[in-house]
Amino acid sequence: MKNRYLVGGPITPLLISELMTLGNDDAGAGAVSIFIGRVRDDEVSGKRVKAIEYSAYNDMADKEAEEIVKTVKAAFSDVRRVIIVHSTGVVNAGEASLFILVTSGHRDHSTRACRHTLEMIKERLPVWKKELYL
Amino acid sequence: MSTVVKVLYFGTAQEMAGRPSEEFEAGDTATLRTIILERYPAMRSLSFRIALNRILLKEESGLKENDIIAILPPFEGG
Repeated sequence: MKNRYLVGGPITPLLISELMTLGNDDAGAGAVSIFIGRVRDDEVSGKRVKAIEYSAYNDMADKEAEEIVKTVKAAFSDVRRVIIVHSTGVVNAGEASLFILVTSGHRDHSTRACRHTLEMIKERLPVWKKELYL
Repeated sequence: MSTVVKVLYFGTAQEMAGRPSEEFEAGDTATLRTIILERYPAMRSLSFRIALNRILLKEESGLKENDIIAILPPFEGG
C-alpha cells in the first residue's frame, strides 16, 4: 500500500501547490493554515550541512500520522481537514521536508491546530535524519 | 517458550547493527532486549524505544510467531 503521508525526496513547490488545492471543495473552511519545514544549512563542528537524509518506519508512520490527524480533529472542533506530508530520502538545504495544512471554519482553530500537529509530528512520527555535509 | 521474531532497526540503531533487520529467537521482549544489547553493546548508550507490531511498547510483553519488533531511537522528524 502506498504511504499517504510520506514522499520520496523534497516536497517540491509543484507538490505544495497541488496539496494546497485539496481543501478547495470545502467552501465552509474560511481559514487555511500552512506550515512548511525546510532543511537548514547549519554549521556543525565547522562543517556545513548540505542535505539531510530522512528515513522512516513506513508502516508505523502511516498509522501514527492517521492517529495525529484524528487527535487534532478531536481536540479542535472547528477543524475540517488536516494534511501531513513528510519527506524520506535526501532533501537539500533550502528544500522543504515537511508540509502541514489545516483548514477550519475560523482562524483560531486552524492556527492552533497547525502548531499542535507540528508538535505531535515531532513527538510521534517515526522518522530519523542523517546530516550530509559539504 | 522461544519463538522466531523479526527485528527491524532504524536510525542510529541500524548503523550500530550494520543491517536493517534480522531474526531472533526469544519468548518475550525483555529477553529479546537483553540478547540484542549483548550482540550490539553500543546500543546500551542509545535511549531507544521498542514497537511490537507497529505499536510502542509501554511494558514488556510476550512474543508469538511472526511478531515484528522495531528498535526505535528518538524520533527526529519535522
